[in-house]
Amino acid sequence: MSRRVVITGAGVISAIGNGAEEFWRNCLQGKSSVATIPADWERYADLHSRLWSPLPEMDPETLGVARAERLQLDPVSMLAIGAARGAIEHAGFTLSAAGARSRNFVISGTDSARTGAYLGTGIGGAYSFLHNHTYHLHRRPYARLQEYAMERASAQDREELEEILALIEHGSRYNPFVVSMLMPNAPSAALGIKFSLTGPNATYCVACASGTVAVGHGYRAVRNGYVDIAMAGGSEYLYDEHGHIFRGFDIAGTLVRDCADPEFANRPFDKERSGFLFSQGGAAVLVLEDLEHALGRDAPIMAEIIGFAETFDGYSMMSLAPGGEQIERMLRAVLADSNLEPTDVDYVNAHGTGTRNNDETEAMVIDRVFGKAVPVNSTKSLLGHTIGASGAFEALVTALTLRDGKTHVNNNLAMPSYDLNFVRCVENFDPDIGISQSFAFGGHNAALVLRRYDE
Amino acid sequence: MTAIYLQVLSEPRFLQPASSKSMNANVQQRVVKVIADILNRKESEIGLDASLRDDLQVSSLDQMTLYIALEDEFQRTMPPEEVTALTTVKAIIDFIDRKLQESSPP
Repeated sequence: MSRRVVITGAGVISAIGNGAEEFWRNCLQGKSSVATIPADWERYADLHSRLWSPLPEMDPETLGVARAERLQLDPVSMLAIGAARGAIEHAGFTLSAAGARSRNFVISGTDSARTGAYLGTGIGGAYSFLHNHTYHLHRRPYARLQEYAMERASAQDREELEEILALIEHGSRYNPFVVSMLMPNAPSAALGIKFSLTGPNATYCVACASGTVAVGHGYRAVRNGYVDIAMAGGSEYLYDEHGHIFRGFDIAGTLVRDCADPEFANRPFDKERSGFLFSQGGAAVLVLEDLEHALGRDAPIMAEIIGFAETFDGYSMMSLAPGGEQIERMLRAVLADSNLEPTDVDYVNAHGTGTRNNDETEAMVIDRVFGKAVPVNSTKSLLGHTIGASGAFEALVTALTLRDGKTHVNNNLAMPSYDLNFVRCVENFDPDIGISQSFAFGGHNAALVLRRYDE
Repeated sequence: MTAIYLQVLSEPRFLQPASSKSMNANVQQRVVKVIADILNRKESEIGLDASLRDDLQVSSLDQMTLYIALEDEFQRTMPPEEVTALTTVKAIIDFIDRKLQESSPP
């Protein structure tokens, strides 16, 4: 059984807009969100990078998450729920309450047993792990130190102790739900619970390729007839109070170093690029649907997915294999899966992190497989790196590029490092075929091929 | 992120508690609101003598959620070994009332 798979809706929670259409308008306008990292983080470490891409303040209620649920969900799950809800509505479905006193929904007009969830995340609920770990580690030392400061220390010592106390502040409790908050499968489970989906529900935890792999496996499930609808995408939340997660990427030398001009610091494929822009996170969820199912309900169709492939470098945890042989093998495999030749590809949404290593290898492989003429851009040049959500954002950008015939610029490209056709202005070029590729820490490579949908 | 008792000490309403009677009425209102919120019920459905388990069908997971919500609302810790013994809405109100009147936070 091989069915055609179309994208009928998408939802987004991001630093540059919520909802697929708002996000896309802002992409086309070249919008990005760059700010100095929270001052608190610099109390704990000497950091090399000082920039990140923060999410706007948001009330969990607007994500469809009530107070009772908020106490039991990591932000990564709330973002997934918010994006999925947007996707369901964007795809033209309506939601109804799952029961009298339930905060959950059922998606009207669908068979929940034939609807699956395929969600990527790099670090799952790491925020909840770190937040509760701080309480676990600091609660008793804090209490003892405070008692000493208040009852026995001299006035001079007390002043210094108070400074130390400020450094070891902790949250207000050890949350009894912590295990179910931090587990990496929590976002896909939260999505399945919120929308009463009883089909397959799986989490794809492959670092920066998570979103692409999740969409790819959702695509295969619909294509092979395991499900009629796949809610597929990625969710990531990279903030913690102490900048612990930021420090991990910073010390590895992966983040933007040249922070003098914040708006210009993030520059994938530029000669002066110095690393990737750390994102606070975000989520993108796509509704993948069997074409006949979509036509049967007159659904809006954004684009068609026609191929997926993945390979593994088998080389290094943190570096792409020089030469990019496994990336090339993956690209040739995804073209074969799509029954296409390299010359059929009209648009490449690159992984494009902005690290020296990634962009060099990626540009070389794009040149080798597709040549110098195909338009290329990096969505991370706008959004920064959302790790496990990035592939889902980029699959969405690829779909919208095909739908609207134009795409966003590769932001901040002053001096291209490579002789490729980077997108420098927004103009109609009416591509039929687009490819979105991701590479991950560990060595995972994955790519999707999408086709413009013509009735 | 603020250590809980620093936060409590800095909140004026705990430094100058209202009179016992009016405080109790205020506590009652806030407890009922939190319970209604957590159980997704109307406040009018939360009777003072209602049994959590039999009348309100509070599961053990609901109970955990309820007590962490009450911790947030009143800025007091609610140790599980103490609160699991509370079986009615009124018992919760009285428990929190006592907590708030203790001279120093737990």
